[in-house]
Amino acid sequence: MNPAKAFAHLFSPLAGEDSGNYRNPGQISFLRAPFVPVDEVEAGRGDAEYAFIGVPFDEGNVGKPGCEDGPRDFRVASLDYFPYWFEFNVDLHGCAVDCGDVSMPRVNPALARQRIYEAVRSALDAGLNPIVCGGDRSISIPAAEALSDHLGNERRMGYLHLGAHLDFADRWAGESHVSTCAMARITELTNLDSANVAHLGARNSFNPKDHVDLAKARSVRFHPMLEVLERGVDEVMDEAVASVWEGTDGQYLSFNFNVMDSSCAPGVTATEPGGLEAREIMRVAAKIADAGGPRVIDVSELCPMFDVSGSTSRMAVCVVLRILAGVARRNGKTLDDSIRRPGWRHGPA
Amino acid sequence: MKLPDNPWAFVPHQHQGPHRETDPDAHVRSPTRHNAAFKSAGIMTFMGAPYCPPERDRIREARAKVCFLGAPWDLGTIVRTGTSSGPQGIREASTAYFPYMFEYDVDLMTFFRVVDCGDVPNVPGNNELSQQYICDYVSECLEGGAMVILVGGDHSVPIPGARALSQHLGRHRPEAKMGYLHIDCHLDAAVDWGGNEITNASGPPKALELPNCNAENMAHMGSRNGLNPKDWMDFWIDNRIPVLTMAEVVERGVDVCTREIFERAADGTEAIYCSWDTDSMDHSCMPGTSCPESFGIKAREALQIARIAGEYKVDVLELAELSPVFDTSQISTKLACNLIYHFLGSRARTLRSRNEAL
Repeated sequence: MNPAKAFAHLFSPLAGEDSGNYRNPGQISFLRAPFVPVDEVEAGRGDAEYAFIGVPFDEGNVGKPGCEDGPRDFRVASLDYFPYWFEFNVDLHGCAVDCGDVSMPRVNPALARQRIYEAVRSALDAGLNPIVCGGDRSISIPAAEALSDHLGNERRMGYLHLGAHLDFADRWAGESHVSTCAMARITELTNLDSANVAHLGARNSFNPKDHVDLAKARSVRFHPMLEVLERGVDEVMDEAVASVWEGTDGQYLSFNFNVMDSSCAPGVTATEPGGLEAREIMRVAAKIADAGGPRVIDVSELCPMFDVSGSTSRMAVCVVLRILAGVARRNGKTLDDSIRRPGWRHGPA
Repeated sequence: MKLPDNPWAFVPHQHQGPHRETDPDAHVRSPTRHNAAFKSAGIMTFMGAPYCPPERDRIREARAKVCFLGAPWDLGTIVRTGTSSGPQGIREASTAYFPYMFEYDVDLMTFFRVVDCGDVPNVPGNNELSQQYICDYVSECLEGGAMVILVGGDHSVPIPGARALSQHLGRHRPEAKMGYLHIDCHLDAAVDWGGNEITNASGPPKALELPNCNAENMAHMGSRNGLNPKDWMDFWIDNRIPVLTMAEVVERGVDVCTREIFERAADGTEAIYCSWDTDSMDHSCMPGTSCPESFGIKAREALQIARIAGEYKVDVLELAELSPVFDTSQISTKLACNLIYHFLGSRARTLRSRNEAL
């Protein structure tokens, strides 16, 4: 094999090649990853470290609808990125498999949650790091349960959520597993100590009093947006990362991109003004990567029908890929400086 | 048709009907009789400026010092199309603005004798010929003695745009050098893309091939994220051209970085081509572009770049990849329009303070 050819995906396509590694790869998958069904992932993973799992589930949603299209749009947006990230000098090609979408029964949220749990658990048990793309915020409940059970009682779990809402309803209109209950259920996991939980970005008044009360009753450290503004995102993230990563064996990172200011993320279920700006979320991504990265990433409540110019999905993909790239660099997977495109005629060879 | 001796006397209220304003300075004040050109432009032009055919003699005759030229070419792109509506987007956005800018106390219209030279025609499916037309039209404007505001179109537009400036300089000042700046989210340094050397990903490599454009007078600013294949970065590194990434801009500040690249472009040169991709800006203030990317230049920083650019002798300021079809509430087209206005305002202030002739 031509050694340069093996790196073709790093470069602009050569003359005579199609640009099939770019925006039109034939089939749409996360970062052009091969499809491997989740129950075959152990045998079919190859060298992949991440398993993308789509969860088009919108039935735990208390807000406006549309996030069931999240995984689909997330995959499409990922095709606008190359596997090569020049700021990190790493190659993400082959880092992931795409396990497709979890099959969703209609109007049976309990069964849906069971299937989400099984899919995430299978990927974890196969040694992969799931990237779970919702779907509404309630998908975090079964996905976090899967990580908790995978770790077992001998190992400790950490949990970091970024979002505008606390989601600490013990019950919402009598329901216990809808989106607003996510933090309430997750902080009940037995191997997750409240000292290892952090929440960043809460603001505005879709945070009823009982949510705040329960968060405090369970001693959960939440960093409201006003604190982030006052102290700066770096300092707050250092503290949050220390809580979640220190002394734990597996970390769950959960994004609701309404943590971003509404100007940066119009395409989410519940836009909120006064949130993070792009360069702040990039600092968040860098801090998480520097800590070693999480075991599970979830992205919930992307709502493409309200998006503008596809920019929110693209930002979400960008944040996730910057974490992956940062982790790869941290793990020493930077590329050899001498690799060049075949036929290169600029500067020193 | 011969242009009137002083076409600016009736600009921008081009309505030459029974209810016209008669005061020659009416365009810098609130209207007295009707909405004038504000939001009702007559025939829509950039800034409400008079149309002037893109011919050197006509431009000289009008004594125009700024030509607005649209290049609605979007088939040189490797990403989504739609930028062919860019020039019209800026023209429409400009109907919401007066030519008078209080920040600089200048009437851009009469100071620069701005003309709109319309759009360059293109040949669908023929990148070479379409780019040749762009080159020819920019050349006419430069030969007419004007600086050019060139609005794409996709980011292949700098290929013919910089070629036109290079040839213009070569004709009049054979020994002189030019600077080339590329402000963009993307490194755009594909020597070829699948064998095609003139797509919207190849502006800088083509600029470097120009005989009077050297690496010492080139720079890139604003790059970030993962639509930058490795050979694009290798190009800048191997040719020893500085890349001021977005992370560096955030760290060092936009003022310092902008001055650094413009000083480099101006160092020992007699002309500057500034190629500015709208996706260099953050997606929150610029959704109306082909590749909206987060982690970009914010609106107030972009306006600061425009103001600093106005302190330098920029011969062609090009804005590319504006895509109004993806815009919302005109936020992208109005920002793009303002970049031009603030650049011109700052340019006027600079020239006035130095008592320099246009």
